[in-house]
Amino acid sequence: MQLLWQILVNGVLLGGLYALMALGLVLVWGVLNIVNLAHGALIMLGAYVCYYFFTGLGWDPFAALPVAMSLLFCLGYLIQRWVLNLVIRAPMFNSLLVTFGLEVVITYLAQLLFSADFRTVNPSYAGANFSFFGATVPWVRVLAFGVALALTFALWLFLDHTRIGRAIRATAQNLVAARLYGVNPRQLYALTFGIGAALAGAAGALYGVVSQINPYIGAGLTGKSFAIAIIGGLEKSLYVLVGGLFLGVVEALTALYIGPTYTDVVSFGILVLVLIVRPTGLLGRTA
Amino acid sequence: MSDPLLKVAGLSAGYGDMAVLRDIKLEIARGEIVALVGSNGAGKTTLLRALSRLIPSTGQINFTGRALDELTPDEVFALRLVQVPEGRQLFDQMSVEENLLMGGYRRPDSAAVAADLQRAYELFPRLKERRRQLAGSLSGGEQQMCAIARGLMAAPELLMVDEMSLGLAPVIVDLLLDTLVAIRKEGVTVLLVEQDVFSAFYVADRGYVMESGSIVRVGPAKELAEDPEVKRAYLGI
Repeated sequence: MQLLWQILVNGVLLGGLYALMALGLVLVWGVLNIVNLAHGALIMLGAYVCYYFFTGLGWDPFAALPVAMSLLFCLGYLIQRWVLNLVIRAPMFNSLLVTFGLEVVITYLAQLLFSADFRTVNPSYAGANFSFFGATVPWVRVLAFGVALALTFALWLFLDHTRIGRAIRATAQNLVAARLYGVNPRQLYALTFGIGAALAGAAGALYGVVSQINPYIGAGLTGKSFAIAIIGGLEKSLYVLVGGLFLGVVEALTALYIGPTYTDVVSFGILVLVLIVRPTGLLGRTA
Repeated sequence: MSDPLLKVAGLSAGYGDMAVLRDIKLEIARGEIVALVGSNGAGKTTLLRALSRLIPSTGQINFTGRALDELTPDEVFALRLVQVPEGRQLFDQMSVEENLLMGGYRRPDSAAVAADLQRAYELFPRLKERRRQLAGSLSGGEQQMCAIARGLMAAPELLMVDEMSLGLAPVIVDLLLDTLVAIRKEGVTVLLVEQDVFSAFYVADRGYVMESGSIVRVGPAKELAEDPEVKRAYLGI
């Protein structure tokens, strides 16, 4: 029972981070109708930004997080403005191929630049923990969870309560009407993709703190983000959060009862099952 | 009509290889209500799409003295040439109020936007009652009110209203026509595009009749409404 409680706490803490990972993918998918297969690679880049600021400049990883977000925002904006906007009117399959290509390119460039070694971000307080009703909880994980929740909430505030956020939602709902009412879709798409990439950067920075990183973590993280998008749908940040927590807990339980090597089998099994039983998504609607 | 607000000459447009509009000539003066009528498929909506630059066209389009040919839809919108599109095209998953605010998306002056929002609610008290409701859940008539109000929120010089009456009860259509007359008094010029010839000519100053991609008649609305040929073709009398 004690072990189960510990596992659930671990799962929830990891799930918050998963939710943040998926949030950027969901935003881009919902607004641009692009399933960004390079999303995980952007998360990986965010992790390396954090790593180099931590080891090279001695920054606290949480202080490096805004840097990772800013850099990834710029990269995302440029990718959309100069690459993806060229295929935005083409069928979805084209943009899927382009983002797949980007994923491969970014991963191999990362291998070239950063080497294939595993890296860890270990701040001095990495070992500090406290007891939460009997479960041992590392402070960094709680901090990472808190930041992930805060960013999810911030995105919701931005989309629901700002002029630009409203335009982003309007464009997702009705592109023709948005164009007729003064939205420049190319600019808005670049901005949206930039925000999605910034969220990936933040998720990467947090991921580097709680787990090991190498240039190949991207594909798996894209897969997890995709699974959460299918579970949570594309419409509400809250559902994405629920989807992330769900996946985190399911993975933790799988690791406990079936074995750590089967976590992906179970989570993608659920993904396939959802696609068969409720292809429109479990909580909200996907495309 | 020495200095028309909108001046279109020799305009042709279509979709791909299919030509829809041929050599359109049309002028609208400030403060007019102009009706553009014609049967289904005459090319009315295509003309509006060309004016809003959603599709490319050849020929001249001048609005407040500026050529629109090279502009994008958002730039045309910024010049305050605003379209209330066919089928309303509301943002269904957003509230009525958010739809109206999207109409003011390009306006930097938030005080003026807030004032226009109150004005829109005065024009359409029903929208005020339902301002927190999702636009997609409104009745057809309320949706059309919402679409027109959203257009007004853009502070248009020229408001182009496409097929406003389609699928609405006559009493609602009358209410909306009265609103258009009211906003014209406030200085908004209106281009009313309609299949419903009778309601359009009822409020319009002048009319254009379109047939298979060309303008076939022009004149004061009252004269066109009495024209035996127009009557035969569109009213069946």
